[in-house]
Amino acid sequence: MNATTKRVAAVLLSLILLFVTFGGRSSAQSVRGGPDIAVVVHPDTPVSDLTLSEVRQVLLGERQYWSSKLPVVLLIRAPVARERDVVLRVIYQMTEAQFKQYWVAKIFRAEAASPPKIVYSNDMQYEFVSGIPGAIAFMDARNVRPGLKILRVDGHLPGDKAYPLH
Amino acid sequence: MVRIGSIFAVLLLAAGVARAQGSSPTDQAEQVRLLLERVQLLERRVTELEARQAPAPATALSAANQVPTPSQTPQQQTAPAGTLAHEHEVQEQAATVQQMEQHYPSLQIRGFGDVDFSATDQKGTTSGFNLGQLDLHLASALSRKVTYFGEMTFNAQPNGYTVEVERNIIRYDYNDYFKISFGRYHTPIGYWNTAFHHGAWLQTTISRPDMVRIGGTFIPVHFVGFLAEGNIPSGGAGLSYNVGVGNGRGSLIFRPGDAGDNNNNRAWVANIYSRPRRFYGLQMGASVYRDKITLVGRDFREWITAAHLVWTKETPEFLAEFANVNHRAVLTDLSTNSQAFYVQLGYRLPWFERTVKPYYRFEYTHTPLSEQVFTNQDLVGSILGVRYDISNYAAFKIEYRNSKRGVADPRVNGLFLQTAFTF
Repeated sequence: MNATTKRVAAVLLSLILLFVTFGGRSSAQSVRGGPDIAVVVHPDTPVSDLTLSEVRQVLLGERQYWSSKLPVVLLIRAPVARERDVVLRVIYQMTEAQFKQYWVAKIFRAEAASPPKIVYSNDMQYEFVSGIPGAIAFMDARNVRPGLKILRVDGHLPGDKAYPLH
Repeated sequence: MVRIGSIFAVLLLAAGVARAQGSSPTDQAEQVRLLLERVQLLERRVTELEARQAPAPATALSAANQVPTPSQTPQQQTAPAGTLAHEHEVQEQAATVQQMEQHYPSLQIRGFGDVDFSATDQKGTTSGFNLGQLDLHLASALSRKVTYFGEMTFNAQPNGYTVEVERNIIRYDYNDYFKISFGRYHTPIGYWNTAFHHGAWLQTTISRPDMVRIGGTFIPVHFVGFLAEGNIPSGGAGLSYNVGVGNGRGSLIFRPGDAGDNNNNRAWVANIYSRPRRFYGLQMGASVYRDKITLVGRDFREWITAAHLVWTKETPEFLAEFANVNHRAVLTDLSTNSQAFYVQLGYRLPWFERTVKPYYRFEYTHTPLSEQVFTNQDLVGSILGVRYDISNYAAFKIEYRNSKRGVADPRVNGLFLQTAFTF
């Protein structure tokens, strides 16, 4: 074992130590309380129940069509809104910076033509989801109004004890 | 060495100043939060007032199969004044939705750039700054199912700049399972070549691994032809595929024959990868590439097999890729195998607002002496560095590299700096 190999081994060991120390402490995965966030879609969307990993697939842009004729239209609240915090923390498991970088990279890889559309209020969100076929958004369950379809996530509706988005 | 130290200090100072100017102060975020809460409060008040004006059956939460229809809304049951207000609201809503709907074509341009500094102890080289690639990326939806993607780079040369069309793709999406495109691509062999393209800001390190180096020959970086891609219905396995047919390597083997193939044989590529749903962040895959290379009247059959395993989350980040390139001379049947791999580890530290990411990469390339298509590409190298994100769209990187090429070549040490950004 020459000196360089020893040096490389020492660096590798230090990195592994770092991973072990901090690997399980992702702040994105910490559990916080608060009202449930409902997954709402346009009423004509041909889904009613998704698993959390399927919701993640949709949000990551890996599933871009509800059916061959109906593309997914992603809507997400602007930064600082609680709905966005929950979506980033529970579904994307990313920080704000990682989320932005993810979508720049996604478009750069020619995997998507545009990032999720930004909405600034619940009213705006309601108008878009009820008006755009294929639209999906996330809103405080207390603010959901008639005319939207609420999706079950892992078989649960907002308000259920095991509902994952809060 | 003192000179390098002072340059480094100046760059660090500049990065610090840039960060101080670019970061969003906490109180500003707090103000935005308060404003959003205020908007929400006002929206709730409006909803309450509307409900008071014309009471209707409340539908707080509805199950997925019990969608309340707009016909149940209160406005239709109110007096003419209410109807007018409702009509106005509907018109406003339609106008807003129309604004939000996609217009075609909808061109989006994004740029990437980097400025670099390098200093090594290799004899015959000079230290100094150089402009990296200026990269322009174009994306435009032409209709709901047709999209155009393009990428162009401007490369600094001793006597000016060269412009290169890196990617030029038009794609039709039938659904998630079948998308077909035509044009010039980054060949879907392994992971790096299609994950980071030419944007230095996107990758953790300053440079690409040697096996997928731009202008390198180990794998064909570019590909001209057509590509089918999509997801494979596979439940939790999360399988996807790319299958393509194209020109393959040209007379200059680092180029893909943009203006036409140099023989009557088409190259083909197949890539399959899995993103298991239970392990969000994990991707593993395998690729196969087949071509016939014609070099100065001699033909060679080329088989490339590659595999990758990556963990894309940054706590930690782990990238590993391996490729074997087999060349067989058609005339003599002499066969050679060259191998290359790299392993990269990174970790975004929890401190400094998660802006610091140390990393390490080991890479290895072996080409046998009997190799007839490549020149010798042997390499054993290590990179140790730190990436510091100055803002959400700019980063500063510093790297120490230690590498050795051939047996007779000396070991080379080097210091590399880069500021990379997107705009």
